[in-house]
Amino acid sequence: MQIVIIGSGVAGVSFAEKYRSLSADDEITLVTREHDGYYSRPLLSRGFSKADIEQSIILKPFDKLRENNIDVLCGVEVTAINRADKTVAINGSCQEKELHYDKLILAQGSSAFIPPPFRPYEKLFFCLNSLVDLKALRKFRQGFLSQNQRPDWAIVGGGLIGCEVASDLAAAGDKVTLFHAMDRLMERQLVADDSALLLKVLQDSGVKVLLNQAVQEFIKEEDKVCVRTEVTAEFDGLIVACGFKPRTELAELAGLEIGRGIKVNQYLQTSDESIYALGDVAELPNGKLYAFILPIRNQALWLAEFLAGQKQDFWTPPFFTTKAKVHGFEAVHPYNV
Amino acid sequence: MPDYKRYQCSVCGHIYDEAEGDPDTGIAPGTLWKDIPDDWRCPECGAEKSEYALMA
Repeated sequence: MQIVIIGSGVAGVSFAEKYRSLSADDEITLVTREHDGYYSRPLLSRGFSKADIEQSIILKPFDKLRENNIDVLCGVEVTAINRADKTVAINGSCQEKELHYDKLILAQGSSAFIPPPFRPYEKLFFCLNSLVDLKALRKFRQGFLSQNQRPDWAIVGGGLIGCEVASDLAAAGDKVTLFHAMDRLMERQLVADDSALLLKVLQDSGVKVLLNQAVQEFIKEEDKVCVRTEVTAEFDGLIVACGFKPRTELAELAGLEIGRGIKVNQYLQTSDESIYALGDVAELPNGKLYAFILPIRNQALWLAEFLAGQKQDFWTPPFFTTKAKVHGFEAVHPYNV
Repeated sequence: MPDYKRYQCSVCGHIYDEAEGDPDTGIAPGTLWKDIPDDWRCPECGAEKSEYALMA
């Protein structure tokens, strides 16, 4: 059997390794746009306070997967899924070809969600959704540090990632202003008391937190970028952290059923019986997308066992919780996940 | 034979079993949890050692 996996995050890699451990003979090909290996996505939020992060974030080089008889095609974009002849078309630096699959596993994850009003300004801001993004941010920041300056940052979005990044930049010694549209931080995951505690922790670390902010536009002013709310303030660097958007485009083009994510049944199977989806690109029948590492890895291990014939029961979400990586912050109450 | 324990990563669910160690990251079989260096990270998700909890 030929198994093709798209994506080299925790979903794709955990699946590939588990499936290989259960089946020595099937061909496993993992296709990814990444170059650097399997890296820890949660650690992106610690990308400024740790000097060696660009190396230490890599948990497994792709060669390590190859040693395990998993064929990894990296730096490659999948351009189409042809369901009729069960192939995916890929386009890499020096190769353009088709791969046959018996089972296709979609694990492309998500990109940063950019609210529509910000989309015209994409050249003015950074996101922090991948190692490529982190490297670009670190390079930009290094430009200031090498001149003995500290960048003055605006972060738009006071959800989990926005708070983590604000905290880490402040811990690294930069000046940070955090804009949030709602009246409290991380309102999706935290009870009001914990939001208030988080606010205090961030403020104590030097972050200027602005709540109830309707950010209207960004304006380029020479080497500064301005954030306009009711007033206009200027910054050196701008990071938009407004949530995630599952990468459903490829599945949609192939005619698979799409909601917010790629719709799957309780066996993680899409509307095409040969195609499965897992990780934060997959939308379960209960309407949920699982975006945290623990349930994603659980899905990946389950699917490998299921496809290897070792599990018959459908996937059920494990108990899990999460914890924001904000320096010095411990929530009192459980997170809403 | 010592009474080996198991610890679980709260971020990803990875289980460290003292009996098995984690040879891929240089931790020999039989290494007790307390003897693993503090800068060791979860081999699956990169979480810090402090994210692990003793399994019941």
